Amino acid sequence: MSEQVVMRVEPDEAQARWRRYRWQLLYGEAFDPAMQMALDEVLTRRVGIGQRLPTLRFWEWTAPAVVIGRFQSLRNEVDQEMARQHDITVVRRITGGGAMLTEPGKVITYSIYAPPELVAGMSFVESYAFLDTWVIEALRSLGIDAWYQPINDITSAEGKIGGAAQARRFGAVLHHVTMAYDISPQKVVQVLRIGREKLSDKGIRSAERRVAPLRQQTNLPRETITERMLEVFATRHGLEEGRLQPEEIAEAEELVRTKFGTYEWTAILP
Amino acid sequence: MGQEGPSEETEVPVRGEYKTPGGKLVAVEFDVVDGRLHSVQVTGDFFLEPPEALERIAGALEGLPVRQATEELIAKQIRANLDDGVEMVGFSPEAVARAVRRAWS
Repeated sequence: MSEQVVMRVEPDEAQARWRRYRWQLLYGEAFDPAMQMALDEVLTRRVGIGQRLPTLRFWEWTAPAVVIGRFQSLRNEVDQEMARQHDITVVRRITGGGAMLTEPGKVITYSIYAPPELVAGMSFVESYAFLDTWVIEALRSLGIDAWYQPINDITSAEGKIGGAAQARRFGAVLHHVTMAYDISPQKVVQVLRIGREKLSDKGIRSAERRVAPLRQQTNLPRETITERMLEVFATRHGLEEGRLQPEEIAEAEELVRTKFGTYEWTAILP
Repeated sequence: MGQEGPSEETEVPVRGEYKTPGGKLVAVEFDVVDGRLHSVQVTGDFFLEPPEALERIAGALEGLPVRQATEELIAKQIRANLDDGVEMVGFSPEAVARAVRRAWS
């Protein structure tokens, strides 16, 4: 195991790196939970081999889901019976981190697929905050008092807004974030098992109080928030309209069949 | 000399958790057979690259003597089993070791 060598990267120099790329935007099309997982792998691979320009993808969901982290135990994180009752699909993503509940129109989820050079010289912890700097700016410009809580939380005085997860794989960096917009904290604790040890250093008593969805903090419609996010990204880094290629969709569909849609993958850590 | 505390054989797996302050949770679950760790599973909301290194971490714990293995020894064992370039983010060999000790103490 290696001790991580971290070079000093000046924040302004690093932020200027975004401008080295022609960022493509994928926005609007909704997919089911397993397909979302598969698209993340396919698009990361494509950026890794240079078949796709660096990309920002905003997700729309066709169905509610619990998404668990690559290294989580299925039965320890999810009340599967409760998930069934609520008609919630359980899927596993390729990044680490914690389980989350998503519902169509009730979360804001996005992925960044980037060349590793964008975060060269940064530790993992530094790169999380770096890749979401534009999001914090967008939220703050809407009057939401948000900040980055290392390692991977977007939080506020009222509670946690969302979490990021990252993988450095297939020659690229995948960084994705889900923020709660209108998720019911009560439902979260019904479906997800959140143990006492996990809250041990958070200084709060209950898991319900941990989550502070954006709608609770602002009266703005979800679209207003995502539009502001796009504006800020475009202004800071540049952004072009992109689209998913048919072969990318086909490749993702195949991955749903062989991996993300299978119980073997979801229960890889039972 | 009579041994107080748990016997050295388990009927159901034991489980211990540890959350690194400011970091992530790691859980270790295992059986004890003839006083040694068996069928070890390491899970949690940590980050790890490459993901396959998880098997090396769990594998490092297989067969360790449950009573004698100190946190220090367990952590050393994990470190020795990991290749250069493995990145553990939000947890550490020491955190895994503490979860093991919590499962069986």
